[in-house]
Amino acid sequence: MFDVQSVAHQGPQSRQFNPYTENGGTILAIAGADFSVIAGDTRQSEGYSIQTRYAPKVFQLTDKAVLAVNGFSADGKMFVKKVKQRLEWYRHAHAKDMPIRSIARLIQTMLYSRRFFPYYVYNILGGIEDDGTGSVYSFDPVGSYEREACRAAGAAQSLVQPFLDNQVYYKNQTAGQDESFPTHLPLPSVLKLVVDAFTSATERHIEVGDGLEIYVVLKRDSTAIQSMEGVQEVTTSEEGQRVFYIRRELKKD
Amino acid sequence: MDHFPTNWGRPRNDLHDAYGTYPIHQHPQHAPKDAFADGVKRTQQPIVTGTSVLGVVYKDGVMLAADNLASYGSLARFKDVQRLHPVGNHTVLGVSGDMSDYQYIQKLLEELVIEEFTEQDGSILGPAELHEYLSQVMYARRSKINPLWNSLIVGGVKDGQRFLAYVDLLGTTYKAPTIATGYGAYIAQPLLRKAVEPYTDVLTEEQAQSILEECMRVLYYRDARSLDKFQIATITEEGIRISETRHLASSWSFAEGIRGYGAQTQ
Amino acid sequence: MEYNGGSVVAMVGKDCVAIACDLRLGNQALGVSSNFPKIFPITDRIYLGMSGLATDLETLRERFRFRVNMYTIKEEREIEPQTFAHLVSSTLYEHRFGPYFIEPVIAGLSKTPSGDLKPFIAAADLIGCLNFAKDFVVSGTASAKIYGLAEALWEPDLEPEDLFETISQTLMNAVDRDAFSGWGCLVHVLTKDKVITRTLKSRMD
Repeated sequence: MFDVQSVAHQGPQSRQFNPYTENGGTILAIAGADFSVIAGDTRQSEGYSIQTRYAPKVFQLTDKAVLAVNGFSADGKMFVKKVKQRLEWYRHAHAKDMPIRSIARLIQTMLYSRRFFPYYVYNILGGIEDDGTGSVYSFDPVGSYEREACRAAGAAQSLVQPFLDNQVYYKNQTAGQDESFPTHLPLPSVLKLVVDAFTSATERHIEVGDGLEIYVVLKRDSTAIQSMEGVQEVTTSEEGQRVFYIRRELKKD
Repeated sequence: MDHFPTNWGRPRNDLHDAYGTYPIHQHPQHAPKDAFADGVKRTQQPIVTGTSVLGVVYKDGVMLAADNLASYGSLARFKDVQRLHPVGNHTVLGVSGDMSDYQYIQKLLEELVIEEFTEQDGSILGPAELHEYLSQVMYARRSKINPLWNSLIVGGVKDGQRFLAYVDLLGTTYKAPTIATGYGAYIAQPLLRKAVEPYTDVLTEEQAQSILEECMRVLYYRDARSLDKFQIATITEEGIRISETRHLASSWSFAEGIRGYGAQTQ
Repeated sequence: MEYNGGSVVAMVGKDCVAIACDLRLGNQALGVSSNFPKIFPITDRIYLGMSGLATDLETLRERFRFRVNMYTIKEEREIEPQTFAHLVSSTLYEHRFGPYFIEPVIAGLSKTPSGDLKPFIAAADLIGCLNFAKDFVVSGTASAKIYGLAEALWEPDLEPEDLFETISQTLMNAVDRDAFSGWGCLVHVLTKDKVITRTLKSRMD
């Protein structure tokens, strides 16, 4: 049996192993009336070193759900793998994809099951609900979650989230006489905000940059994306919602 | 440069604040001790270690380089160790960190390859599969708070696809056109990014070799735990070649002119 | 810096500059005052903002008043923003190993040789390392949040009223996400012929 007492008195030369690290980067999601946009940069770093300029943090789970993970990348990869596995099991058992609100609850239980050795990851789940509305769910590392209209997480959360408060929720702005702010932004405006948020974060945060990946989950009958350039359709099924992928370069310094 | 005179002449902890960026009162050595440190199970530390491994993608494949030294602390203990390990016909594993953990990984891979071979199902483990396997092993061990204390580079070519990826003791993984572990990450990686990354599809074997050799030379000059004997592994569609040990030419005459830092004045 | 909380930001516009601060004074998490301005006029065309430890703020305000008065008497002219920035820097660096916990922000209009007025902003850390930015400078507990907003909202050559809107939105939305800043804002816009000063209402939670 492992003897804690004797090891504890071994002296100061033995170094404590830290099972966690931080790999930088930032993720962001915004929900619209009938779409959801989920984005993340592609830089992976440790300390002041850039490990790679392309490590995806945003993953398509089903034809209506996309998950962004940020924090300790090894935990992130393992977590996404396990979520995907659970969704596959669900498909085999129920012959349909799991609804997004159920995926959100699944993620909560999976995170909380590791309450005392947590996955050091911040998750943001985006997609289309069964009622056809765009949705965003955000989580903390131990599973607290909430449905929201927009959320930023990761290294540049503090730079991006107040910008989103201002531009998505119109915080500290008042509408003119006989005017009102929209409850949901149109897709082109959302995409502009996402790109602006990431270029700004790249400018002022050393762990953000290199590339930007944006996923758009769009309700099947929506026409919002027809006239967009550089958009690649990555829809997986005929019945579900449509999914699009957009890639942009970010500064590499 | 450490700006705090009280630290001059004392052993420095390179892991913390090597540039003296904190005000004195919050300097690591003045920091309160981790309250949980005594209650947490302590794990091993690396004993016999190998330093940097370098990897690059070039026109026809992937190339790895590592020197032949296994250090025991600051002692150059074993000077003829091969740290490039071929697995099957498509993959080479470059290992830095603890050498006994490396030997354990070699054993794991041998068992794995034999098991896969005996299946006789026509499928062979390629670099991508071996990297995934090693990632799972490394991540599982870190999750048991009993890590294999290594940084590994997996390089290979299979089905016309060049593959170069990294995995370390935390289970952190990534792919990139150039990878360097240990001090190489600080010293060689910037050189490789400049010399290799824009040209991965045009760089010839000779060019890739001379870039790696130059990086190994720079590392030999600056990394005190390195050696002037190294090997290069070349993986192409044709298979694996691991070179004989090569010697790095170096000149230390400039050292005569250095008159030291700090207290040493004459 | 989190002991009393507070944030300051300054921005350059077209022939004008703006400087703004929040109005909170706290004792750690406890809010103590909602009318604690952190910006002070130094001359007619230099404003100094300070965030950090409130007691050091009071001390430094008096210290700068004294030093600027001495400068004015000796030189028989008003101090220029650049000169004042260096005065701030050297005052802070005098205490390199036991610093005042203040991050100053300076906004002013400086005289060019031709007699025109040119926008000037600067900021320093608590030991006086100066930062002469061309766009905006920030300090305080909400600095990261201000950076995020300023980087996205600011653009070159804003007219005074547009600059006022930009700096106000930047500061208000930033301090609303900061537990240690907020409780109202104070904005000054310095132009050639006048200083526009406005107090903003904002979230009080």
